[in-house]
Amino acid sequence: MKNQQQQAMYALLLRLELWFAPVLILVPIVVSFFFIQDWYVRGVIQGISQYDGELILGLVILVGNLLCDILFMKSLKDLKRKKLITEKKMK
Amino acid sequence: MLFSEMTTKDALKRTKQKITGYQTEFLERMNAIEVDAHWFRRVFHTFAASFLIYYILPDEGWLFALKRCTIICILLGLIIVEYYRIRGDIKNIHFFGLRGYEKHRPAGYLFFGAGTVVLFLFFPQQIVIPCLLCAAFIDPLMGEIRFHFGKYNAILAGFVVSLFFFSITWYRAEWWVIAIVAAAGGTVVAFSEAKKLRYIDDDFLIQILPAVLLLIIWQVFAGIGIDILPETMILPL
Repeated sequence: MKNQQQQAMYALLLRLELWFAPVLILVPIVVSFFFIQDWYVRGVIQGISQYDGELILGLVILVGNLLCDILFMKSLKDLKRKKLITEKKMK
Repeated sequence: MLFSEMTTKDALKRTKQKITGYQTEFLERMNAIEVDAHWFRRVFHTFAASFLIYYILPDEGWLFALKRCTIICILLGLIIVEYYRIRGDIKNIHFFGLRGYEKHRPAGYLFFGAGTVVLFLFFPQQIVIPCLLCAAFIDPLMGEIRFHFGKYNAILAGFVVSLFFFSITWYRAEWWVIAIVAAAGGTVVAFSEAKKLRYIDDDFLIQILPAVLLLIIWQVFAGIGIDILPETMILPL
């Protein structure tokens, strides 16, 4: 009974992580696009070069995060693949 | 077998078998988690770069107070959670990606949060941006390079990428200012990430040490009548 409770709690934790991971991935992308959009709307359209810094920041945040996100997603995929192989071996 | 029929030896044997079973199962699960916890920690670091959205809100009137109160409240919340975790009231299993040595001391995320709050509260934007970018990206980069190519290559890569971050964020300053700031900042960032201290996490040092150094450089030049601080990069709405 106690083991079942632990299993349920563990599954809940993993579910929480699965919900949290998209936030970690999406928020920086949204922020970077916001900076790029702000540079375009307030800088490019109105011809003010003071907003160029926001473009640089947006690109740095976007590229840096995408690189890490790809590797993170790849590690999750590898983990799932390993689990499937283990389950097949168990059967 | 009924309980009355069990000898003490049998009971001990069965208990031992059960404990061993639980331990094996738990370790297997922990090992499985470790695989993605590694990249989870990296993604958590790079996520911190999005905190720069803080500067989009204007520093006027009640918004100024709200911004500051919010980050202080978040930090206080983290301190309370960590207090109960270290006391044992909240189990470590609730914290995904926690390192082994962080079980009985404040975790890295608290140091990171504290460093970021100190930066936002006490340093100008021009100093905060490169320091926060370094904390978000240099730490994972140096960690990966250290793992694959060794410590010295990691320090070198950390230094070069820090130079890049300090140069692009101070691009509006004079060339000699960029050279001084990038060299000083890059050196301190690489040093603070390479040097591991027992009680202070590198997530805190990587933000605060270069910020303090830049503040000193800025004040020294201000003392002789030269303002080296460029215009702000992020203009509030």
